[in-house]
Amino acid sequence: MDILSVEEIRKSFKSDFTRQRSEVLHGVSFRASDGEVLGFLGPNGAGKTTTIKIILGLIRPDSGKVRVMGRDISDRGIKKVIGYMPEKAYFYNHLSLREFLEFCGRMSGMKGDLLRDRISELIELVGLSGSEDRKLKGFSKGMTQRAGLIQAIIHDPDLLILDEPFSGLDPMGRKLIRDVLMRLRDEGKTIFFSSHILPDMEMICDRTCIIKKGRVVRQLSMGELTRVGEGKVDIRARSCPQEEIENIADYIEGVRKNHDESIISVSKQEYTRSVLTRLLDCGADILSVATRHPTLEDVFLDEIESGSKGESEKQEEIEAVTG
Amino acid sequence: MSGIKTIALNTFRESIRGKVLYVVLVFGGILILSTYFLSPLSVGSAREKIITDVGLAFISFIGVMTVVVVGSTLVHKEIDKKAVYMVLIRPITRLEYILGKFFGIMTAVLLIALVMGVLTALSVLLGGGNISGQLVAAVYFSILEMAVMCSIVLFFSTFTTPVLTFFFAACVFAAGSLSGDLRVFAEKMGSSGGKLIMDLFYYILPNLSIFNYRHEAVHQLPVPINDLLISSVYSLVYCGALLLLAYLVFRRREFT
Repeated sequence: MDILSVEEIRKSFKSDFTRQRSEVLHGVSFRASDGEVLGFLGPNGAGKTTTIKIILGLIRPDSGKVRVMGRDISDRGIKKVIGYMPEKAYFYNHLSLREFLEFCGRMSGMKGDLLRDRISELIELVGLSGSEDRKLKGFSKGMTQRAGLIQAIIHDPDLLILDEPFSGLDPMGRKLIRDVLMRLRDEGKTIFFSSHILPDMEMICDRTCIIKKGRVVRQLSMGELTRVGEGKVDIRARSCPQEEIENIADYIEGVRKNHDESIISVSKQEYTRSVLTRLLDCGADILSVATRHPTLEDVFLDEIESGSKGESEKQEEIEAVTG
Repeated sequence: MSGIKTIALNTFRESIRGKVLYVVLVFGGILILSTYFLSPLSVGSAREKIITDVGLAFISFIGVMTVVVVGSTLVHKEIDKKAVYMVLIRPITRLEYILGKFFGIMTAVLLIALVMGVLTALSVLLGGGNISGQLVAAVYFSILEMAVMCSIVLFFSTFTTPVLTFFFAACVFAAGSLSGDLRVFAEKMGSSGGKLIMDLFYYILPNLSIFNYRHEAVHQLPVPINDLLISSVYSLVYCGALLLLAYLVFRRREFT
């Protein structure tokens, strides 16, 4: 069952000065099924935050539909099952952490002992014990992010939407948020989040949706990710003459230099034997030969840069590295 | 209802935890108490009248100023700093948000009016006078006036900046206080076009002069119960209409 369904969303904004409309979302569509963790990936200005705001009903789309559990987002009741953590938010600095969480809980329909117990449980979960009565005004960035996460999950929502949850956090803060998200994933919550921290996204997500210039350009599961690079091989070698690398340019995707070593990426598995033979013949020392599995970052960069890099640039890149 | 109450409580907390309210309260208190010390030139009932008149004038002025300053900044700050997301992503309607803001600001203003009313009454007692029903009624009318101004400020703050909200609200307050004179002016105008415009202003702008019962309080004149009812209903209807308009504007608003 789809918990979140975004269908053909289009959105344009008027320029303040010229009053001309420019379209920022060109028919964005994707779905998140029950219990799935869906990452939303894209460069700055791709339309991630606009899409999230449309899902939350903070912005109206020009056309298209957003459905949560099959119900339209304008349906007031459906907001009870959604939790949202913004990237940068002002969380009412005049309130203490406890007052702020009581405010959020009450607005989500909670009250009494249930609310009080839930607040205590979540404060402990994110490691903010002892700060309950401190004003939010005095909170650090990391503490504010954690307070933001608690307010998003205080009412135990089925769908959690997070906009850049790891933004500006130190490694410990990132780990803490990541651990909470993984725990929620294990509890069967559906999580949809945008992030630029790709290793974290790779670790948590079941599937990723890549958006570029207001269009979804690719959706892939983490299982597919490991298959993307099947058949590609990296050869680690030492003492490779530059002219020999230029001679095998047709068989390789690129060369990376690491001190006196070269990591040669063979573009197809069947070329491996030929490349190895050529390298051995010219006196290079072969250190290792390994199948290459791309990271999410590789796939993301490929999608974003696709079409913008021609063959001549590839040749220049090889020359720059080897030369 | 619980959503309105929660938002109102938060707005009230934000108001009373800000510095503006205390500055206003201390300033207003000093002004009111100063009337007792600055009226030795007059004696007996004249002294009591001066204290009552000046005290009520300060309650009205400072109350309205507080509504305008607090109302124009609080809503705008929430929208500008995106704190409003924390409310609108929850099962709360935008009408509940507007009403919550209104009741929150009004609770803070009510507190100010009560403190300043007590200070005025104290000054009257120290000046040798008695607390009359007219004095209490005049404070009540001032609170009705503040409610009308609060709805006006909320309406403007849903679509414009704090500076413009302050400016528009100040214009409405000035014109609304002279609303009765507009009618008289319209009667005396020769051209029908001019009369139509004046009439239009008279009916659109709030008639704040109906909330001014200082004269009755100073001279201990009777306040007809009908006036109390009419002013209360007028304030209720005007606030309702303005808050509905504020909601209609706010409902269309996008938070980019």
